[in-house]
Amino acid sequence: MSFDPAAIRRQDDFVLQNVAGEHLLVPIGAQVMDLNGIIILNETGAYLWEVLAQERSLDELAAAVADEFDVEPDAARADVQAFLDEIAQIGLLV
Amino acid sequence: MSAPSRLSGAEDPCPPLPQEYGPLVAELQSRAAERRQPINGAFELTERCNLACTMCYVRQPSGHAAYHAAELSPAQWLDLARAAIDHGMLFLLLTGGEVFLRPDFFDIYTPLARLGLVLTLFSNGTLITEAIAARLAEAPPSRTEITLYGATAETHEAVTGVPGSYTRAMRGIEALVRHGVPLGLKSTLTRRNVGELEAMRQLAHGLGLSFTAGHLLFGRRDGAPPSLGDCRLSAAQCVKLEATDLVADDERVDVALHRESLGNNGIFYCYAGKATFRVNSCGEMSPCVHLVQPAARPLSMGFTAAWEEVQRFVDDASSLSSPCLTCDVRGYCARCPAWSARETGTLTEPIPYLCTIARARQERYERRA
Repeated sequence: MSFDPAAIRRQDDFVLQNVAGEHLLVPIGAQVMDLNGIIILNETGAYLWEVLAQERSLDELAAAVADEFDVEPDAARADVQAFLDEIAQIGLLV
Repeated sequence: MSAPSRLSGAEDPCPPLPQEYGPLVAELQSRAAERRQPINGAFELTERCNLACTMCYVRQPSGHAAYHAAELSPAQWLDLARAAIDHGMLFLLLTGGEVFLRPDFFDIYTPLARLGLVLTLFSNGTLITEAIAARLAEAPPSRTEITLYGATAETHEAVTGVPGSYTRAMRGIEALVRHGVPLGLKSTLTRRNVGELEAMRQLAHGLGLSFTAGHLLFGRRDGAPPSLGDCRLSAAQCVKLEATDLVADDERVDVALHRESLGNNGIFYCYAGKATFRVNSCGEMSPCVHLVQPAARPLSMGFTAAWEEVQRFVDDASSLSSPCLTCDVRGYCARCPAWSARETGTLTEPIPYLCTIARARQERYERRA
């Protein structure tokens, strides 16, 4: 795991856009140098991205997803973990 | 490994799509067109240019007071951008004229670069200083494209009409490379510089940059005499160029696009007015950079009404008949309503120059088949 499960927050150098029915993360500022592309998020990912505007713990995120999407807490936690691993790997977390 | 090359069929045909995103962009474009969301925008920040290329379709003198006075302010461009984003714009081309003629360029660019757009910037490079390159690098566009008009000063300046423009363009290119700004080079081919195509390609690749070249020259948009007779390549030259292995990929795309259009009898077969719009330097909106109609005014009538007017213009054209729709070489032809509008004053009439090229392509490809 490349993030602290007690304190997770997103990078600010991305803007979430909804275009043609897709949730898209677009890099801005100097970030364009490192990641010159667009990232597609699904519904859960877009929701988490909004929630991650403020620092959250893994437990808080899992609970928020379980509540928002009406899924079992264990399943939500696994999904959140997988999402965070993925976006941490491409530098989307602080 | 060398950078990729391609030769496009037309000179700066439309706001370029970031090819590196591949299928994602194609899918987004298609879905946006179905939903009539203006995902592609082009802002022509000025029609003025410090070069004087005879073949250019948009070129007013750099000191032209009337064009200068009519240009939108940074605040107006930003209002337009925000409204367009609310309607689904994701890709935005900033072009001219020469955008760096505007001393307030960064008053437009810097806030725009914070809005979450995929930005492309066109320039001739001659006004790009070390300081400008450094400032661009702080929040670079996804792509910058600079046009070379030759691989030597002699040829470049024979096309631009401005002594010293080659050295200044090269300095601008080198500054952008030094600062890591995403960059590609391109050329507009004329009879004067086509002989340096390969040298230009090698120059670009030597700098680690991609290179593209357009060879079908549009007439001027302001109705001034086009002077294209001396510039345009002959049909034989066009077909010969297109037959090189370096242009094969693009040629296939071009042919595929036109073949696809054969299935419907629409006058507009591209995304113009369906997912694409352009706003000129004084705030008039049209379906693409080559069409001036319907000149809708988003700043006075609102973006929604202006975008609807542009769509109506394109939709109304679908009821028009055109001799080109039943032409047996339609699949080989680059004609579109913008070409016809420029050269015949209609949206539908054939362009003899393009007819000749289409016949030459048919001759080459069908004879080979």
